[in-house]
Amino acid sequence: MSTIGEKSFVIFPLGTRRFAFPADDVTELAKPDHLQVFPHRTAMLAGVLVRRGRIIPVLDVAQVLVGPKAPPRKFYLIVNRQCGLRQERTAIPVSGECELTTAELHVSSGTTSRYVTGFLSLSNEVIEVVALEKLVGEEASA
Amino acid sequence: MRSRRLAPAPQGPREDVILFTVCGFRFAIAANAVSEIRGLEGLQRFSLGTSYLRSAQVDFTLERNGTIYFVVDAAQHFRLPPSKPARLLILQHTTAAIQVDSTDRMMEISVLHALPQAFTGDERNWYRGLAVMNDDVVPVVNQHAFVSKAEMAILKTAVQRSQGAAAG
Repeated sequence: MSTIGEKSFVIFPLGTRRFAFPADDVTELAKPDHLQVFPHRTAMLAGVLVRRGRIIPVLDVAQVLVGPKAPPRKFYLIVNRQCGLRQERTAIPVSGECELTTAELHVSSGTTSRYVTGFLSLSNEVIEVVALEKLVGEEASA
Repeated sequence: MRSRRLAPAPQGPREDVILFTVCGFRFAIAANAVSEIRGLEGLQRFSLGTSYLRSAQVDFTLERNGTIYFVVDAAQHFRLPPSKPARLLILQHTTAAIQVDSTDRMMEISVLHALPQAFTGDERNWYRGLAVMNDDVVPVVNQHAFVSKAEMAILKTAVQRSQGAAAG
């Protein structure tokens, strides 16, 4: 395992576990909003939100990250996601307040899921850093 | 100091849509894609028993002015549980009709939002885009997705064969 220096991350909770996204990908933490649903066939997509006149898809990653016992989600973390050639804002439901931290990224050695790009080692806690695009790709091909 | 005037918000071409409901979900369809809204009277059971025809979700036909329309169950089309259809939307420029639970009203939309790229499944074909109506997001259906050209050709051939067999 190697390290690639200090970077900023947004740490988000899903029940008792915490995960992180690179801070550069995160645009805001939003309060609970009216989730709107309509029929579709895309895995993990829970529906859409309307925020400031824009339609934002909601991607519920909890089932993949923590399994079926995922706790109720209280907030939405809005992240920029690369969709083909375009960047698109996507809302990720999380179960509590988030934390911005600067920490050293320990690069994954390949023994974990492909969507985990590395770890943050914070006091007694090891936090997985998630690559959203890889997680979605893995789920889509499952 | 120079005064600055706010430019009017850009407005796209306006479009009339008809709102309808299937399994509790609200949808919109371009008003100019529908030639008639009617009840379910006059439907004929359509069952030729071949598996490839099932993909078109056509269980009924309707004969109207000498033309046979293939009736698509919208709940099946959107992979929803069976619903209680009560209305029929007869489409323009094709011989297809859609069975829906209810029709609501006609509305005008000025913006058709593209479906976010995060949607990657069949819905990319089902919907032309999304409309926001009083903060509610309503998918605007693609009327051409209910019966594809290939499915329509197969259905018409099957009907012609069955009519030929009945006549012979």
